[in-house]
Amino acid sequence: MTISRRNLIKSSALGSLALAMPNIVRAQQTTLKVVWMGWPDNQVLPLMAEFEKRNPTIKLALERMPFQQIFQALEIRLNARNGDPDIFIVDSPLTASYASRGHLMELDSIIDKKRFAPSGIAAASFDGKIYSAPFGSSMQVLYYNKDMFKAAGVTPPSADPASRWTWEQLVEAGKKMAKPAENIWGFTFEQQERPYQLLPMGQSLGGTALSPDGFKASSYIDGPAFVEGFTFMQKMYTESKISPPGQFDTALTPELFGAGKCAMMVAGTFVFDTLKTKFPNLDFGVAPHPYFAKGKPVTPTGAWHFGVNARTQQKAAASQFVTDMLSDDMNVLWYKLRPYVPTLNAVWEKEASSFTSDLWKIAKYDVQNTAVPRPATPGFREYEDIVRVALRDIQSGANAQQILTAAAQKIDREIAKYKG
Amino acid sequence: MFRHPWAPYAFIAPAFIGLFVFRFIPIGLSGFGSFFSENLRGDMVFVGLKNYAELMDDPSFWNTMRVTLIFNLIINPFQICCALALAMLVRRPSKFIDVFRLGFIMPMTVSIALTSIIWSILLDPTLGPVNGLLRWGGFQSQPFFRSEHQALETLILVATWKGAGYWMIFLLSGLLAIPKEIDDSALIDGATGIRKFISITLPLMKRPLAFVLVADTAANFLLFAPVYIITNGGPNGATQLLMFEAYQAAFAYINHGRSMAISTIILVVVLLIAMFELRLFIPAEEEQS
Amino acid sequence: MSHRLSEGLRYTLLVIIAVILLTPIYWLVMSSLRPADHIFRFSGNFSIETLIPFAFTLDNYSQALQSNVGRALFNSLFVSLTTVICGVFVNSLAGFAFAVFDFRFKKLLFVLILLSFMMPFESIVIPLYTLMRTIGWTDTYAALIMPEVAGGLIIFLFYQFFRGIPREIYEAARMDGANWWQIYYKMTMPLSGPTIATASLMIFIHQWDAFFWPLVATSSERLAVIQVAIARNMTMEQANWGAFFASASLAVLVAMVPFFWLQRHYVKIVITNADR
Repeated sequence: MTISRRNLIKSSALGSLALAMPNIVRAQQTTLKVVWMGWPDNQVLPLMAEFEKRNPTIKLALERMPFQQIFQALEIRLNARNGDPDIFIVDSPLTASYASRGHLMELDSIIDKKRFAPSGIAAASFDGKIYSAPFGSSMQVLYYNKDMFKAAGVTPPSADPASRWTWEQLVEAGKKMAKPAENIWGFTFEQQERPYQLLPMGQSLGGTALSPDGFKASSYIDGPAFVEGFTFMQKMYTESKISPPGQFDTALTPELFGAGKCAMMVAGTFVFDTLKTKFPNLDFGVAPHPYFAKGKPVTPTGAWHFGVNARTQQKAAASQFVTDMLSDDMNVLWYKLRPYVPTLNAVWEKEASSFTSDLWKIAKYDVQNTAVPRPATPGFREYEDIVRVALRDIQSGANAQQILTAAAQKIDREIAKYKG
Repeated sequence: MFRHPWAPYAFIAPAFIGLFVFRFIPIGLSGFGSFFSENLRGDMVFVGLKNYAELMDDPSFWNTMRVTLIFNLIINPFQICCALALAMLVRRPSKFIDVFRLGFIMPMTVSIALTSIIWSILLDPTLGPVNGLLRWGGFQSQPFFRSEHQALETLILVATWKGAGYWMIFLLSGLLAIPKEIDDSALIDGATGIRKFISITLPLMKRPLAFVLVADTAANFLLFAPVYIITNGGPNGATQLLMFEAYQAAFAYINHGRSMAISTIILVVVLLIAMFELRLFIPAEEEQS
Repeated sequence: MSHRLSEGLRYTLLVIIAVILLTPIYWLVMSSLRPADHIFRFSGNFSIETLIPFAFTLDNYSQALQSNVGRALFNSLFVSLTTVICGVFVNSLAGFAFAVFDFRFKKLLFVLILLSFMMPFESIVIPLYTLMRTIGWTDTYAALIMPEVAGGLIIFLFYQFFRGIPREIYEAARMDGANWWQIYYKMTMPLSGPTIATASLMIFIHQWDAFFWPLVATSSERLAVIQVAIARNMTMEQANWGAFFASASLAVLVAMVPFFWLQRHYVKIVITNADR
């Protein structure tokens, strides 16, 4: 069969029109590519569905990544520098890192600072401008196994923040309940190596984790407060032996506590629900995060924000996403799906009835009074990674001062490149 | 060796197009990238050999080199001996031998990441069944991955757990390919056991052994998942392998120039060792027709 | 040593080794059958319950199947099998050329082959991802399959095996007037059963294990591969060990199937070849 030239031109014209048709029709609808944390389906999907319901012309192409890989995968995508993804999860301390490298869009025009807790806005800012949207925060409390306390005849800590335990009291109690030879322990941190969990040890003694300008670690992280604080932590593993060493998997430490193998655990407010559903026979209580007797109470906090890609092709839709997600009722919905610690003041007010338990009373008090976020620096990933390795090594018995000084030098060297 | 004006090129074309597009061009770009430094805005600045010079001056890099070389010096012969031993054990057809052959290669079905997670739990000082077993037997529980004196050895054992069956396949097919006549005539000549093994079996296994050695060397130099998942290079740098260092440079320190410099070094080292190993096993035979 | 004693020793060793190699897999599957609060309860202190779960549940499996695991298994199977078919073909062609011919640049090209499987993956991830974006392959099966088809290790594998085939066979065929394609297809490949089986296994496992590249290169749920689906059970605040172990067990059990299938044919083929 021969194809005449005229027919060929006609058919290819029709063909290209046919291919273009769906695009012409779809032009009314925009798609936003969203990279979100791999939180469970039943928490994320209803939130996203609600957004799509309110914005019928915006479709969300949602991608949920596992925690271990999300930062690396995001680095690769962002490195390609072409607006993919439009919206992505930002661990609050990384705001400065992403912003300084041009990956985040400024949000000052669409965020009203007054609606949020000051620590939330501080964690979202870099160089005086807001770059990420505060979407939730966190708080750590002390969980304790009531049965183990009763069996050992030890009085459990009170839930009143005014009479919170000191670390010294905790170690004493732990010693009475720990039996390392039988694999029974007195105390564990949820995150045995992460700066998020352990910086308060030094901060409680008055230490500052990084220079205020965010570029110098020497004489801060390796100062006497942190050396003392981390050495105290080290002794829990090496001397008093109340803590199980080497538990770096944060998915395993709650299992230890839940299975009744550990009497006390400092962990996030989240773990409360996990314990209640996974270990229904466990009788446990909550108390405020401990502090050093000669210092002041300091609790860890930090948040999951999200940001808009500076190179997004869908500025209007992305801004709409930010505005909607930060609206009072969407935030309340998110809180109901996933009970994190709120940064939006309105949520504290609207859901006041759910904040009456011991857990929430403690969380609210600490978030407003003792919480110290992680240091703000563009080089946060480097800082966190180096301090993490240092904390691991300190736990296994290395000299804290030496390790910290070496770490500080390394940090200084790595962060220097952000001075621009 | 045959000659033909275009047939060889036609045969290698599909593979080489694939390798070029998906391997050589990216590797070229990143090798090229090792001579650059990226500033914050993403612009590449030519810095010549600065990344390499920085590595040479960095004591932690030398520690990584040392640990990696020690690791490979031990694990390669060890893994191959294990694989060879396994192959020898299951070589002779006998009752249920099929079951054992299959059983030995089962670790292949578990991905390296999953292997790392499972072994990390099994060897956990507190929650691990292995230590549970030790304690039940009256022994002391061992720190395994959490001790700088045991971590590297434990890593070698876990990697071998996964790899021994994998390499056994190649060696087994090599053993089974040895013609029966040679085997039988050796027996007639009175050569048995170890003598037979050394003077008859091993020389006939040259090719499979060469293949396994080169491939295993590459795989072990590129070992990454267990370090990333279990030890993070520790304790105290005891398991800081080169591949992990390259990964950290790229994703923790966001220093792509440094990362690519390390990758290029890995590539060169592995290539040199591989060529040396090939020479060792198959001297001059390559040129023969 | 008497025959019976040495056989006894041999079987003892076989059993010990089998226990070491199989117990972790057994533990994985057993853990997946335990209810959530029992998973680690018996792992630290050894007892009979460490080995055999008394409390038994299929809950973890139903949870895993409700999430994306079924689709992910399909994706991984599709990607793995397609890569095997294309890979065996493409790589054996190249291995044949190196084993049989002499040609210009042969040595250089051979070194390039060796180089290709010594490349650290993380050093090519970023340029490779940019390349995928440029040709518009992100979020497609093509991105998962095509970069893994040509493989230096598999070419090397076929090369080593083909070198062992005596050139007289080829000379005779050439005299009979056969062209090289026919020689490859009708003579060499049929002789290569075990090597094809080995190559297939290697490619299959490589793709079955793939994790970081699929995570980076594809974003939609409908393309998720099994290793990614498994990893998704470990989130920061709530780790679902039960579903994790269940989906991991499924991945392992499905991966075992090609092994069982090939094992039966493998030994038969090898023994037939050896007798030739």
